[in-house]
Amino acid sequence: MSAIREAIVLPLLFLTVTLLAGVQLTTGVALVPPSLFSLVLGTMLIAALVRSGALAPARLLRGSRSILANANGATVLATLFAASAQVLAMLTPRSGLPLFFLDVFLFVLLLNTLVTQPDRVRLLRSLAVTLGSALLLKFVVLASVSSPSMSRMSRVMVALFDAATFGTIAQEPQSAGAGYLAFFAVGLFLIGVGSLPAAQPVSHDSDLARHDPR
Amino acid sequence: MKESVVRGLGLVASLGYAAAVAWLYASQPQTVAQVTGGFAAIVGAYKVDPQAFADGLRFFRRDQFVEARAAFARADSAERDPRTEFYIAYTYYRQGWGRLYSDDALFGKGLAAVDKAIALAPGGRFVVDDPDLQMHSADELRAELQRGMTREASDFNPLRVLRTRK
Repeated sequence: MSAIREAIVLPLLFLTVTLLAGVQLTTGVALVPPSLFSLVLGTMLIAALVRSGALAPARLLRGSRSILANANGATVLATLFAASAQVLAMLTPRSGLPLFFLDVFLFVLLLNTLVTQPDRVRLLRSLAVTLGSALLLKFVVLASVSSPSMSRMSRVMVALFDAATFGTIAQEPQSAGAGYLAFFAVGLFLIGVGSLPAAQPVSHDSDLARHDPR
Repeated sequence: MKESVVRGLGLVASLGYAAAVAWLYASQPQTVAQVTGGFAAIVGAYKVDPQAFADGLRFFRRDQFVEARAAFARADSAERDPRTEFYIAYTYYRQGWGRLYSDDALFGKGLAAVDKAIALAPGGRFVVDDPDLQMHSADELRAELQRGMTREASDFNPLRVLRTRK
């Protein structure tokens, strides 16, 4: 990995994701730090990246590198953690049953990913699908249910649905720009994760050649 | 460019950006003016608009409190100056003060403004040398605003009508 990518591109990209994903556009603008559970999910995501080979920490931090290079590597890891936690916090609904179910869903999904240990390409595809689905759920499905600008009939239907679910589905209305901001943040995050230094593929040919009886 | 230079520049830029992001999370600015003013204040380059402040003071002395607040807000658009925040709090006090009762909503806003002034002042101590005021410190103003919002037996004392606005 080039020094520019490791020292400049990746940290600045992940910090931008951390900033954008923390922005909450409701009646005003607020920067919301990630919840404790998002930090746990972020840790699990990094563990999954390491186990799949999508992230090789040894290429960022090791004794044979200079102090400056190791500082750059540590910055990449720290900013990746902050961005992961913040993206997962951004994609989680804010209250009620959707918050509970999506947290459980993400936890089980990441746990399953840790256990099955997919390769780098499969993990990145799976991550894109997971983050994309959560984005659609929160910023399209739940946002449309909670939108104040609906027709009278729709509002009646939503009110009935809300009463039937004890008010645990509808979320606080969001600004129209929130979804676009989230889409941009998730896109940047996926680009960053795809650009992380991956584990070098193990060459089995040499081992086979060594043990070849011919 | 030499690799060590790139790495050094990258590290400095990353740490600076991370500090800026952390500051944004901690201070929760609501406007672009607050963001730019906050960064300017960090490097010691933030200045209150003297003309707008003088306008605010003139309105304040004429008991034109709404106009005074507008001018003070223009003078300290980033809400970083304790003196301006103190005067904003004072406008709320004087506007909300009444011989029989005080306006709790205005006093509440005044309390928020004086708390901001105290938070911005070095060591939390703010004193203004203005002979037109009867309360010169943020602590006095804060206590007066709090007293105005508290319900107590002395509120029903008829002699209260004789008290004067500070």
